Amino acid sequence: MNKKSILYRYSGYLFLAPYLLLFCVFLVAPLCYGLGLSFFEWEMISPFPPRFNGLENYQEALKDQYFWKALWATARFVIMIVPTVICGALLVATLINALPLKRQAIFRASFFFPTLISISVAGILWRWFFNTEFGLFNAVLANFSMKVPWLSDIRWAMKSIAFMTFWWTLGGPMVVLLAGLNQIPDHYYEAAAIDGANAVQRFIHITIPLLRPVLLFVSVMSIIGSFQVFGQTFMITRGGPEFSTRVLVQYIYETAFSFYRMGYGAAMSWLLFLVIAVFSIVQFRIMRER
Amino acid sequence: MKIVSSMILYLVLILGALLFVFPVVLIFITAFKPDGEIVHFYSILPKEWTFENFREIFASPEEIPIFRWFANSLLISTMVTLLILTVHSLAAYGLARLDLPGKKWVFSMIIATLMIPGQIFLVPVYLILNKLGWLDTPLALIIPAGAGAFGVFLLRQFFLGIPRDLEDAANIDGCTRLGTYFHIILPLSKPALATLGIFTFLGSWNDFMGPLVFLDSVDKYTLPVGIALFQTSYYAEYGLTLAACVVCTLPVVIVFLLFQRHIIKGISLTGLKD
Repeated sequence: MNKKSILYRYSGYLFLAPYLLLFCVFLVAPLCYGLGLSFFEWEMISPFPPRFNGLENYQEALKDQYFWKALWATARFVIMIVPTVICGALLVATLINALPLKRQAIFRASFFFPTLISISVAGILWRWFFNTEFGLFNAVLANFSMKVPWLSDIRWAMKSIAFMTFWWTLGGPMVVLLAGLNQIPDHYYEAAAIDGANAVQRFIHITIPLLRPVLLFVSVMSIIGSFQVFGQTFMITRGGPEFSTRVLVQYIYETAFSFYRMGYGAAMSWLLFLVIAVFSIVQFRIMRER
Repeated sequence: MKIVSSMILYLVLILGALLFVFPVVLIFITAFKPDGEIVHFYSILPKEWTFENFREIFASPEEIPIFRWFANSLLISTMVTLLILTVHSLAAYGLARLDLPGKKWVFSMIIATLMIPGQIFLVPVYLILNKLGWLDTPLALIIPAGAGAFGVFLLRQFFLGIPRDLEDAANIDGCTRLGTYFHIILPLSKPALATLGIFTFLGSWNDFMGPLVFLDSVDKYTLPVGIALFQTSYYAEYGLTLAACVVCTLPVVIVFLLFQRHIIKGISLTGLKD
């Protein structure tokens, strides 16, 4: 290799240069900056400069009852939404896949449609549905002389949020799973049918194993997404009643941008990252090994 | 027996599909109701159709700068789309086709960031934008959006599938690497570029957290954040709020109806390629 050709090879990086610049400034740098920040006490509006305080932010979080409350609210949401959305998406995808290919598009589009609505629009809409006095749901329930405090009761609020989220987020995983189902060759099912396997047996012994990589992908994405829930609760309940729906991202948002405690906000971000990483890895392990 | 089960299948799916689409349709219908009819619900369709809600949100640009929000949203979404299509296709071409030393290593580093939850960037990116003086300007929402790895990943995957013969022929004819990118790779990648472009545009149009955190003044807002403001200022006026929701949602519905196939394909690809 002569010098010119080495130069020529490296000059190819000019194609990557614009992207790598953005990547470094707005992805790698914030990652390092945020981690560093989490070891500092810094109130942005106070005249004092940032002060290194080691692990104090992390210790504070572990003692902060509002942190635990927010983590618990987030965990409740994740437990409610991840299994229901994944199972619901699998069910809908399986039903649609039973149709002839050319009839699938319209149903796929309909179930996917709500995911395209901005969360502020979806939030306003569902806030009206859920309204205790003049909401749509209670207007319908009034015919059976029932009245549900969808958003104002601690026992209902998070369930209502999860219900709305089910509608809003089912489409994404459903489309991915349907694409996975479309790829399974028909003759597998035909052969199993000849051997006398019924529909349920075919689903358990052919569909699930062949779909496992796709299922793993959508469940990990769903876990990562659900732990970061923010828009729904922010728009619909604002975290209430009694903080029962104030999730961790909202608490971080308020800590950093209402109280300007940047160090503490960053530390809680990293704690949430840790929680998400642990759950994603566990999910990987469980679904890979079997 | 087969006909019966097939009929049940269609019935279940049609019912489910209607339940999923219905809430969105309801926004469009209810925006034409007078407030009284929204609060006292007795029928899905309005008894009397009214344009009053729309007239009112368009008539007071000082209080409700909805045209401004629309223009801001359009500007930001368009610029983000152009930025990502340009920068990501260049990078993807380099990673898919050029003989770069250490390319594998760079690519794995980029891909690794796909799994990092976005909330971790919130505080540090805010502070970086503050240092750059970009807070409360459209730049805060445009430039950082170009750092995401999804587009690079998607386009690289597509470029790898383009046969090399054409490029070899072009090289023999003396075409440079940049020429190959412009005259061979880009024209052949229109479907992938369209998918990524539509996807990016919709994502940026609907983004809520970014504008909420990075923008301050009401006339800099995008539609989703502007509409969220309604909830606090025009709390009791559902008619106005829903009319604003229609303005925010209609472009998305049109884009979806026109480019449905591209959007669905983009989603499918994310889960299937490795």
